[in-house]
Amino acid sequence: MIAKNRGRVLLVAAVVLTAPVLGWGSGFALFEVGGRQGGMAGAMVAVGDDLSTLFWNPAGMAFQTDEGIQLMVGTTLIQPEQMFSGMSPYPGDSYRADQVEQTFFPVHLFLGIPVNDRLEVSFALHSPFGLGTEWEDDFLGRFISQKADLMVFDLGVSMAYQLSENVAFGIGIDYMTAVIELTRNIGLINPYDQRVSDVAEANLKSEGLNAAWAWNAGILWKIGSGFSFGASYRSAFTINGDGKASFTQIPTGYADLDGLIDTFFPFDGKVPVEASIAFPDFWSVGLAWQNEKWTVSGQYGIQGWNVYEDLPIIFPENPEFSSVREENWEDAAQWRIGVELRASQHWDLRIGYLEDETPQPPEAMSPLLADNDRVSYMGGISYHTDRFRFDIAYEQVEGDARSTDGQSNDGFDGTYDSGGPLLHMSITLKF
Amino acid sequence: MKKTIFALCLVALLGATPAMAQADFSTYVALGDSYTAGFASGSLMDWHQERSFPAVIAQQEAGTTFEQALISQPGIGPILELVSLAPVPVITPVGLVPGLPTNATLPRPYNNYGVPTATLYDILFRTGDILNISPDNVFYDIILRNGINTALEWSIGAQPTFMTVWIGNWDVLGALLAGTPIDGVTMTPEESFALLFNNAIGALVTNTAADIVLINIPYCTQTPFVTSLDPYVEIPQIGRWYFTADTGPLTDDDLLTLGAGALIAMGYGLPTGPPLPDNLDLISGEPGVVLRAAEVAMINDRIDAFNAIIADVGATYGLPVFDMNALFDDLFTGALVPNYGSITLSTDFLLGGIYSYDGLHPQHIGYALIADELIQFINATYGNNIPRVDMGEALFEGDWQTPGVSPAKAKDVVMSKEAFDQLYRMAPPKLDQAPRIRRPGGNRTERPSGDLRRKPSLH
Repeated sequence: MIAKNRGRVLLVAAVVLTAPVLGWGSGFALFEVGGRQGGMAGAMVAVGDDLSTLFWNPAGMAFQTDEGIQLMVGTTLIQPEQMFSGMSPYPGDSYRADQVEQTFFPVHLFLGIPVNDRLEVSFALHSPFGLGTEWEDDFLGRFISQKADLMVFDLGVSMAYQLSENVAFGIGIDYMTAVIELTRNIGLINPYDQRVSDVAEANLKSEGLNAAWAWNAGILWKIGSGFSFGASYRSAFTINGDGKASFTQIPTGYADLDGLIDTFFPFDGKVPVEASIAFPDFWSVGLAWQNEKWTVSGQYGIQGWNVYEDLPIIFPENPEFSSVREENWEDAAQWRIGVELRASQHWDLRIGYLEDETPQPPEAMSPLLADNDRVSYMGGISYHTDRFRFDIAYEQVEGDARSTDGQSNDGFDGTYDSGGPLLHMSITLKF
Repeated sequence: MKKTIFALCLVALLGATPAMAQADFSTYVALGDSYTAGFASGSLMDWHQERSFPAVIAQQEAGTTFEQALISQPGIGPILELVSLAPVPVITPVGLVPGLPTNATLPRPYNNYGVPTATLYDILFRTGDILNISPDNVFYDIILRNGINTALEWSIGAQPTFMTVWIGNWDVLGALLAGTPIDGVTMTPEESFALLFNNAIGALVTNTAADIVLINIPYCTQTPFVTSLDPYVEIPQIGRWYFTADTGPLTDDDLLTLGAGALIAMGYGLPTGPPLPDNLDLISGEPGVVLRAAEVAMINDRIDAFNAIIADVGATYGLPVFDMNALFDDLFTGALVPNYGSITLSTDFLLGGIYSYDGLHPQHIGYALIADELIQFINATYGNNIPRVDMGEALFEGDWQTPGVSPAKAKDVVMSKEAFDQLYRMAPPKLDQAPRIRRPGGNRTERPSGDLRRKPSLH
C-alpha cells in the first residue's frame, strides 16, 4: 500500500507541476510598440511612416530615408484586471476572486539608419509576447497557477528598400528569447484530516538563453490619391527552453506526513525541466488614406495560433513528472482602425478602435491565462518638432466576460471578466 | 410567418415538457443502507450523516427539508481515525463510548431510511425499537424507532414525492468482510434478490406517487478494503514472497482484505509464520482474509446479476436507474479522474480522497461526488435544475476530527484488529442460515411476512 501511496503522491505532483505550463504559449501577444500607433489601434501596416513600422510593416522604413537617423524609445504601462466568478462543482457558485493588481511596462527601442535614399537598415528591440498573472495566496486555483510571468524579447534587424517611387519592401530577421517564471502550490488530500492541504510550492524558472530565430517581411504600396496598401508577415517560431524547477515544502502539521512527502520531492535542490513552446505567425493587410490634415487607416490580421496544439513538458531526471498537454488553439482574427488629425504644426490628435478574437478554447482557460474576445478604445496626442516627437495614448481594453462552460481541463470552472487600461508613451529623436 | 409561429409553438412546447416532468423534492425520502445513511469510517455519526449523498442533494434543492436519525460523536460504532501514517498507517476506533441519537423524538418519519448493514431482506422485514436498543440491532432501533415498521414501510408512510433507492450492497458485502462468498451465508441468493427487489419496488410504486430513481450496485471488490494490500512482500535475501494462506500461497490475482494487516504484523503468511486464514470458519465465525480470483469473480458475478435484476425491475416499472456501478468502475480503472483545480481524486486508500478509513464507504468528499453525479442524472432525467455540488466546500472543509487521539494505543498495522472487528461485527455471516442455502429458493415461509401497506406509527 505504501508503494501505491507513493505512486499517488507522484501522480498528483506530476499533474500539479505540468498544468501551469499551458500558459506559456497562450494568447498573450503584445502589440505595444509606440505612443503614436497606440493611439491609432496599431492600424499602421498601410501607414508605415514612423519607427513603429518596424513591427507592423518593415517596408515602411524605405519611405523614411529622408528623416535621417531615427531613434524611438518608449514603454506601455499595462494594468491588467481580471475578476473570476466560480461555478460548481469547483470552485463553487459563490466563489469570487480578483487578480492581484500589477503594472507591466514592456519597453520598445527602435533605430533606423538610412543607407541611401532608397535603402534603410533598422534595428529593433521589443516584446511581442508577454504575460503576467498573480492571485492571492488563498486563491482556490493556486494549484493551477499562483503567479506567472512570461516575457519574449525580439531583437531584430531589417532592411527596407524602395523599389519605385510608390512601392517598397522590407525584410528582417528576429532573434527571440523568452524569460519565464511560474509558481504554484501543490495540494494533496491530507490523509489525517481528509481535506486539501498545501504541501509544497513549485517554482519553474527559465535559465540561460532560451531562443529561436524568426523572420518578417512586408510590402507597402502608395497607390495614389492618398491611398496606400500594406501587407506584412511575421513568422511563427518555437522556443525549446531549459529551466529549473524548485520545490519548497509547506508543513502540514503532521510530522510523518511531512516526512513522507519529503521523500518524494526534491526539496533540497533544483530539477532540470525542458519545455517546447510554439508561437504563432502573424500576417496583416491594411488600407490607409492620408492628406495633409488626416490619416485614416484600417487593417485586418490573423495570428496563427493553430500551431499551439500541445505543450510537452519534460523532466529529464524525473520522467514521472513529464507530460504532454493538449491545447488545440485556433487561429484568431483582429480588426483595427485608427484616425489621426494633424491639428497644428506641433500637435496631432488620434483615436482608434480594435477588435481582437481569442484563440483559446474554453476548456483551456485557466487562472494562468483566461483569454477572451476583446475590444479596445483609445485616444492619443503628440507633440513634435523637426527632430523630436513625444507620443502618448490611453487605451481601455474591454474583454467579454467568458465562461469555461463547465469544460475546464483543470476542473476549475467559472467566468473570467477582464480588461484594463494601457498607457502608451514614446519619444522619437531624429539626428 | 406561419412557419415562424409554428416554430415558436414548437419551442414553447419543447421548453415546457421538461418543466412538467420535473421531479418534486418537497418530500424526498432516501431508502437504502449504509451508503445512503452517510456511514463513513466504520461509523454512523452526525457529521457524516449531514454530508450523506441524500442530504447533499436535498441541500442543493432549495426548500427541501431533510431529517435524519442523527447520532452524536463519535458515532456508532466509534468512528475510525488515522492515528499515524508512517512507517505504517495505523487506523483504529477513537474510543469505546459510542454516540447517542439526537433526533429520536422527531414526530414524523425521517427522510433518510438508509440503515447501515441493511440487506434487501432487512429493509423489507426488519424493524427496530428505540426504547429497547440492542447492540445487534442498533441501527434499526435508532432509525426505525417504533418496533413495528420496516424501512420500506416508513418510506411509504412518509408519502414521498421523490425517492432514491440504493439497496443491495450488503447483500454481497458480507462475502468481502468474511473473505468468503457463500450463498445464503455471506451473499444473498440471486433468486431471493429478484423476488424481494421486485416486491419492494412494486410496493413503493403502488403505494406512493413518488418519482423513484433506482441505483445499482458497484463492485465491492474494487474498494480499498481489498485493493490496498499487495499479496506479497519483498523480503531481503529472499525476494518477493507471496503470503501463504491455509489453502496455499497467494498469487497476483488474489486479494487481501484489510483484516489481513493485523495478522501479517503478527507473522501470519510469512516464511516462518502460520498461514493466513483464507476462508470463513463456519464453526467459529472467524473471517477469512483472502479472496481468491475465483471468489472475486463469484462476487462480481453476483453483483452483475443483482444489477441485471435492478435494471429489469426499473424497466418493468418505468423507473430510471443510475449506474453507480459504472461510476465506481470508471473511478477504479482511472477512466474517470475527478479533477478539481488540479486536485484529483481516486479510489486509492487514504490519499485518494474518495474513501473513508474503513476502506468500504466513501467519506464526505466521496459522498459529495456521488451527490453531484446523481444531481446531474436527475437534472438530465427529469429536467430539474438542481445546482451542482460545490466540491470546493467538501475539499477544504475537512473531516470530523478528534483531538487527543493517542497513537500509543494503535498497533503497527494498516487497520487495527479492533477496527476490523468493529466492521465485521456489523454484518456477521448468517451461519445459522447456512443449511438453508441448500434448498433452492429458500424456505421463505419461515421469514416474517411484512404487510407492505402498513402505516408506520411512533411510540
